[in-house]
Amino acid sequence: MREALDQWTFVIAAYAVTALATLALTAWSWLAMRAAERRKDRGR
Amino acid sequence: MHGFANPARFLRIARPMTGPLLWGGLLLVAASLWWGLTGVPAERLQGDTARILVVHVPTAWLGMAGWMAIAVASLAELVWRHPLAGIAARAAAAPGAVFTAVCLATGSIWGRPAWGTWWVWDGRLTSMLVLLFLYLGYLALAGAVDREGGSARIPALFGLVGVLNIPIIHYSVIWWNSLHQPPSLTTGGSTMAPEFLWPLLTATLAFSLLFAGVVLARMRALLAAAQAEARLRRRALEG
Amino acid sequence: MNTSALKPKHQRFVLLTIALIALIGAALLAAWALRNQASYFLVPSEMVATPPAPGQDVRLGGMVEPGSLKIRADGITVDFVVGDGDARVPVMFSGIVPDLFVEGSGVVAEGSLRADGTFVATNLLAKHDENYMPRELEDMTAAQKTQVVAETE
Repeated sequence: MREALDQWTFVIAAYAVTALATLALTAWSWLAMRAAERRKDRGR
Repeated sequence: MHGFANPARFLRIARPMTGPLLWGGLLLVAASLWWGLTGVPAERLQGDTARILVVHVPTAWLGMAGWMAIAVASLAELVWRHPLAGIAARAAAAPGAVFTAVCLATGSIWGRPAWGTWWVWDGRLTSMLVLLFLYLGYLALAGAVDREGGSARIPALFGLVGVLNIPIIHYSVIWWNSLHQPPSLTTGGSTMAPEFLWPLLTATLAFSLLFAGVVLARMRALLAAAQAEARLRRRALEG
Repeated sequence: MNTSALKPKHQRFVLLTIALIALIGAALLAAWALRNQASYFLVPSEMVATPPAPGQDVRLGGMVEPGSLKIRADGITVDFVVGDGDARVPVMFSGIVPDLFVEGSGVVAEGSLRADGTFVATNLLAKHDENYMPRELEDMTAAQKTQVVAETE
């Protein structure tokens, strides 16, 4: 007996995990930087 | 070395580089993911799941490179006592942890159809999981020092000691029999057909550029926060 | 005054404890995984040289020898031979085999050795090597293949 898995389900899942994590990391770092630099400039 | 250690000089270089690295890196990442999905052929044995390699290998590389960056910066911080080195180490921790987690997740997703299991406790998988826990420990430690005060030398020492795990990860598949395959890319050459090699190298470059942009952005955020805090303290003393 | 004198000490204690727990946890996890299986499996020559006690749970890893794979009449039990070039171990397995389990490819079998020298597997894992070749290459002639490989190097 052989199990038959649809390989594309796994490929799409792996790419989706990578894309979401990368986007979230980039957006978070960029927004945190903007907020911190604005706070610094406001206090001047 | 000491040229970069000056925050003002660092910012003069970092400000114009952050945006292009971040957005250029993101664009190149998107392109390489598309190439991986549509341009990579099915592998002889693994079939379509071999495409997961294009996201798995670059994230593995950055998970390990992130800790090497932490270790080098920590060493610089301990030896030269310059705060910018500590800021660099802190900035590399979060992206390193994210990419290590993505590497473990994509590896697991690949393992189910390719090996027949989501997870095994072999040398490579276990040492990579240890790396993720080291990142979480470092983040908790550095966060606690920033919030509650304490010597910045403690996370630096932790970052230095943790680098012991990097050679273990690399050589785990060579020293011990493991379910994970040995490296396809070595200094001696590649055991990979060019159809797999070029998308993989492109994705590695793309993710590395993005990683550099993320580290610069996080360093600028940490610097700005430190400057704002220093000004507050000065005002409190004057007033 | 009293509390402020205690506070930094207290903080250092908490920080050191966190670091210590993280380090010990990491070390324990590594030690646990590497217990007596720094190697995830035994290869056939190791299993033949120093056979594990019958019934003891071990893993056997190697190549499925081409031509050795046979499916029994019940349709669910398979027999095959795992070799590493020096030694060969016959394996019996009942159950669902992984998608990518084929002759001439790597396998890791979990199970135990029977007194008669047959390895009875309870689970099979497919193992890959470091070679990545497109599927189309399989249909090529040997000469074409060598040429493509030569171009790759």
